[in-house]
Amino acid sequence: MLRSIKVVLNGVERTVDVEDHWTLLWLLREKLKLKGTKHGCDRGDCGICTVLVNNTPVKSCLVLAPEVNGAEILTIEGLAKEGSLAPIQKSFIEHSALQCGICTAAFVLTGHWLLQQGDGVDRKRVAEAIDGILCRCTGYRQIIEAIVDAARKK
Amino acid sequence: MLPKFLYHAPETIHEALELLNKYGREAKLLAGGTDLVVDLRERKTRPKAVIDIKRIKELNVLKYEPGRGLVIGATVTYHQILEYEPVRKKYPVLWEAVKTVADEILRMRATLVGNICTASPAADTAPALLVYDAVVETASKNGGRKIPIENFFTGVKKTVLEEGEMVVSVTLPEPPADAKGTYLKAMRVWSEDLALVGVAALVADGGKDVRLAYASVAPTPVRARKAEKVFREDGDIREKIEKAVELAVASVSPISDVRASKEYRLHLVKTFTRNALNRLLGVEAVVVA
Ligand SMILES: Cc1cc2nc3c(=O)[nH]c(=O)nc-3n(C[C@H](O)[C@H](O)[C@H](O)COP(=O)(O)OP(=O)(O)OC[C@H]3O[C@@H](n4cnc5c(N)ncnc54)[C@H](O)[C@@H]3O)c2cc1C
Ligand code: FES
Ligand code: FES
Repeated sequence: MLRSIKVVLNGVERTVDVEDHWTLLWLLREKLKLKGTKHGCDRGDCGICTVLVNNTPVKSCLVLAPEVNGAEILTIEGLAKEGSLAPIQKSFIEHSALQCGICTAAFVLTGHWLLQQGDGVDRKRVAEAIDGILCRCTGYRQIIEAIVDAARKK
Repeated sequence: MLPKFLYHAPETIHEALELLNKYGREAKLLAGGTDLVVDLRERKTRPKAVIDIKRIKELNVLKYEPGRGLVIGATVTYHQILEYEPVRKKYPVLWEAVKTVADEILRMRATLVGNICTASPAADTAPALLVYDAVVETASKNGGRKIPIENFFTGVKKTVLEEGEMVVSVTLPEPPADAKGTYLKAMRVWSEDLALVGVAALVADGGKDVRLAYASVAPTPVRARKAEKVFREDGDIREKIEKAVELAVASVSPISDVRASKEYRLHLVKTFTRNALNRLLGVEAVVVA
């Protein structure tokens, strides 16, 4: 069934038409053309489809589009403010925390979320939080360092 | 793409039951969706209606009361359980088991009730619920039931739930005062894997009340009652542990699959049971090279 849902997407209030059987990932990429969110396994394993819903990381391939009615959604496209990158984005660049980049949006958003969780963002905490996202290139060290460093500079 | 279905988001249990009644077997309830959405995508299920229960406030109860025990509502996530102090203190076997499920991002979404309703033999929360003698509370248009967890699972991905019936909550009674316990899970990798074998062990009443339950070694999660009885008798503690290990092995029936062979699983049942009991009963392990 086609229905209208209301969301605050990257800070902007919007009404969007969705089919009941669409996933949030499909809605973001194929209908709203926000291709920063990546499509991997489509079954919850790889985590590269992660976005923030009501400021909590979720794997968007496992969420139905109508479920986010009334929610706030942040994708990688909404992180930079007025043309300047968020601290976590800068930190990923400084630490060369990416190679092919397919996992990057998911790690950056999860890092962004962690930075708002208060203190104690050390290597152990970061490793735990990013456990559900796979990177096939960097070996995680730079990713963890980028997040820990951004937390330290906060 | 998922196959087509109608999405409903009722706000009360009553509304949800009306919908369940209307669609009968053609309805599927949706909690965290970490099993259901995968099944939809793989066409393992083709419901006409998907009923999202996350907007039903009364299902998000998580409450411990001394003497009465712990109630976990149907939409309570793993993350909520891990953050709730009484669980860590009073139900450590459950806390440890929940901590092994999937990864932190999924744990902020997936529910314990969804885990038992999927009824996978590998359900990580089931052994813990078994050793705490949990009771599943349901609702339906014909009234509700209280089902002991030991009677809840009937086969691989099968439960006693009937058409039109939903789980409202799971209750874990107050554990014995001196209860100690642990959950040991063998995986191929450190996260995001189903258990090759999961062992829940609880020891109370000065070592006489011992409870053992297993995941991934039979068509349903199982409790090893025969092995538990050994500890009601007197005798040398090391001998009792060895006897219990043998009886535990006799009470499971693992299969070989892509993740492990039957023989390896039996070996894991032995060593994990022995290690857990040695530790909980304060017996020093004999190191075998
Ligand atoms: C990457 C990944 C890793 C995983 N790792 C693990 C793991 O380590 N251990 C493990 O045990 N599981 C694991 N799982 C499986 C899954 O995450 C769990 O079983 C989870 O607890 C399911 O909960 P949910 O809320 O997402 O359920 P849902 O998918 O919403 O529902 C599951 C099933 O239960 C039914 N249902 C839900 N609520 C009710 C209710 N109140 N009454 C009746 N029926 C209901 C649904 O219709 C559906 O059939 C993993 C899954 C993924 C994708
Ligand atoms: S695409 Fe969502 S977890 Fe892999
Ligand atoms: S940078 Fe290539 S997968 Fe992470």
